[in-house]
Amino acid sequence: MVWRYARHSADHPLPIGASERAAVGQEVHAGDVLAAGTTYGTPVRISGARRLGVAPQDLERVMRVAIGGEVERKTVIARTGRRFARAVSSPIAGRVIHRRADGDLYVAPVVGRWVVRSTLDGDVTRSDDACVTVDGSAWALQGVAAYGPDAIGDLSLAVDSPSDELQPSRIDVRLRDRILIAGARATAEAIARAHACGVAAIVAGAAPAGGLSVVYGEAATASGATTGPDAPTVLCLIGFGSAPLPHEVFTPLVALVGARAAVHTASARLFVFAPENAGDFARGAPSLALANDWLGARPMDEHLTLAGPVRFASEIEADAVTTPDGPVPVANVLAFDAPRTPRS
Amino acid sequence: MSTSTELVASVEIAHEARTERVPPGASEGPVLRVIPGEAVRVAALLGRDGKLAAAMAFGALAAGASLVGLVGTRDGRTLVERAELLRDARPDLIVVLAPQRGDAKDLGELAEALRFGCADQHPLPHILVAADERVRERVAAACPANPIESLPDVRTFAGREALVARLRAVRRRAQGDVVLRDEALEAAARAMAANAKADVVLLDVTGGQTSVIHARPDGFVLGIHERLGVGASADRVVARAGLDRVRRWMPRAVEAPALLERVFNRARWPDAIPASVLALSLEMALAREALAHTLADAERAGVSLDGPFAAPLVVLTGRLAELPRAAQSLLVAIDAFGPTAPTLVARAPGDALVAAGALAARGRVAAMPAAADPIAIVSAMWPRRSTTVRIKDENGVTEERIARGSLVRIPTRGAAEIVIGKTTIRPSADHLEVGVVIDARGRPLGLPPRDAERIPTLARWNAALDVLPAEAR
Repeated sequence: MVWRYARHSADHPLPIGASERAAVGQEVHAGDVLAAGTTYGTPVRISGARRLGVAPQDLERVMRVAIGGEVERKTVIARTGRRFARAVSSPIAGRVIHRRADGDLYVAPVVGRWVVRSTLDGDVTRSDDACVTVDGSAWALQGVAAYGPDAIGDLSLAVDSPSDELQPSRIDVRLRDRILIAGARATAEAIARAHACGVAAIVAGAAPAGGLSVVYGEAATASGATTGPDAPTVLCLIGFGSAPLPHEVFTPLVALVGARAAVHTASARLFVFAPENAGDFARGAPSLALANDWLGARPMDEHLTLAGPVRFASEIEADAVTTPDGPVPVANVLAFDAPRTPRS
Repeated sequence: MSTSTELVASVEIAHEARTERVPPGASEGPVLRVIPGEAVRVAALLGRDGKLAAAMAFGALAAGASLVGLVGTRDGRTLVERAELLRDARPDLIVVLAPQRGDAKDLGELAEALRFGCADQHPLPHILVAADERVRERVAAACPANPIESLPDVRTFAGREALVARLRAVRRRAQGDVVLRDEALEAAARAMAANAKADVVLLDVTGGQTSVIHARPDGFVLGIHERLGVGASADRVVARAGLDRVRRWMPRAVEAPALLERVFNRARWPDAIPASVLALSLEMALAREALAHTLADAERAGVSLDGPFAAPLVVLTGRLAELPRAAQSLLVAIDAFGPTAPTLVARAPGDALVAAGALAARGRVAAMPAAADPIAIVSAMWPRRSTTVRIKDENGVTEERIARGSLVRIPTRGAAEIVIGKTTIRPSADHLEVGVVIDARGRPLGLPPRDAERIPTLARWNAALDVLPAEAR
């Protein structure tokens, strides 16, 4: 099935330095802040338990600032005694970031701040310094790869037909904070213009791999690329190069225009927050055929005809299906919802 | 050798998305499964000895694991930078290598960074410690929640074997009783070397992994397994080698962006078939670079490749053996591997060899199938001036003059043997699909950077072995 209304789970990994997080069980909406924190500069190690004359495991008992707490220069972090007091104070302004096993402490200056927002309407089911997980119900569409940060916005149509390429001329600042539905292809030029205009994300059948390398750098692979917040977000639904969207995918997208949506980059999914009865979207998965020269993919007719074993130009003999453009190896035809990563 | 498969009726071999059964058809008994194995992410915390990084890289290559982070006591990073590196790496296992007592204090720092970065990771990474007892105590104190296991010194053979066994156990996790593909291939290579009473090299390139295995008749096996391939890992080959290094093998002018598109599509299309000549050429190009970089990584990890390069028998498996023409498999192998001594090259298409290896790995004695067909005798040379080689076959003795820089194929009929001066090695075979190939191109292979010169050079090599269908010439 292509579109699926179900309960989904989305992990939101956190960078180091979380200072506040949504609690487990808390209800959140897509776009809400799940966690906020700071980025650190070079930390300073300060003597803790030894200076105070306490055992390392007793240090917490005498600390006046908890791990993660913000401090000013000379703030007393821990203190013992009354008449002959011993104290540990911070040499710099920043946060107390870590307590070592031997009782020493690290204080690091704050050099930046970050926030992580939810990509699902739902409840927080896990919350710790490494990850916040949200479970919630939504319409979802699985893509093959996504690039950039998570994005949240209203769905907006930017092409006339599912086989159209997203034209940069159709993108302007009125589409700010929208998730654009592109057709068969979103070029690097369109991606860059959309980002400049404040578009939240582009959802397309495919994007040129060379263009993705230009936008996201050489580290971008076919599995996607997660970046910082200052990058465009692109979700490729079928592949790379050019890939017209099947009607089973495009028609519901058009019907859902205006609905709130989110792109969860790590899992390459589009979530659309519309009621379960928003439409009859739950249809069978169409077949997709990879071009014989691997330069793109296209949706196939509903009824495929087997052509038997065929000897292709590469001299490989394989079972094939008949298409108007010639035979295609059966191995190169996949259902839209087939797993696209190899199993282990 | 006898075949004994009483307890296993058939072997099921998993590829990218499909599975093949040997023998084909429904099984009438227990099935032994061969899988590629999960990608295991390993990070290492290293002491001051400069050889530890290479030892760790060697261990990871031998186990087919991905080394996602190296943190050293003298890398100049701060606690925060180390912690960020380890958190982003999301390691499944941490290996601590610090054989010297003096490393205890510094390793304590690294262990603190590990706890700071990965304390909330689910599941918590196990820590394998190959270190002095003081180091172990420091690590245990800094990371009390992480399960800690001991390892012998991984710079030794026993230590590396222990590390490989542990990493492979993680790659098999939650899969029940299965054999990893690389284990099966190592067992197959060992059996072939014992049968042939000679060194054997097995080159396996699949969609997700590339293996170079060297087996000696005395039972010694050295396996190098890298997550580079011609399918699901094709994009990793490009990321590792660079697109230009892949593109240089294409026998026609192809724009880099269009080539990258093809690579990305192949990476996300499990078990796709190259139906066009261009796609086939790309698969061959990816196979060359996957092999070349696997070998380069092995050399960087301190593995001596003199033995493998001089092995008298090279067997090709996986996608490398399934290219439509034997000459295609052969050219990829000699371009990327480049044997230094006269070598018999055979290829084993299909899964029969892997299945036999899996049975051998599980202790079921299996005869190596005769599925590895000899395709050519290859002799590499770099003569100062033209030289003569003699080839014996059913037609008699043929003498061929070899010019420096050439690639020559001499078709043979029936049993064939090559006679070259200055060596006593005389590989022979009852039948050769391609014939005898003399590679006098020298190493490293010089491919001109400009298309105008590169494409004719490639066309000459392809034409010498009749590699590609007419369309691409």
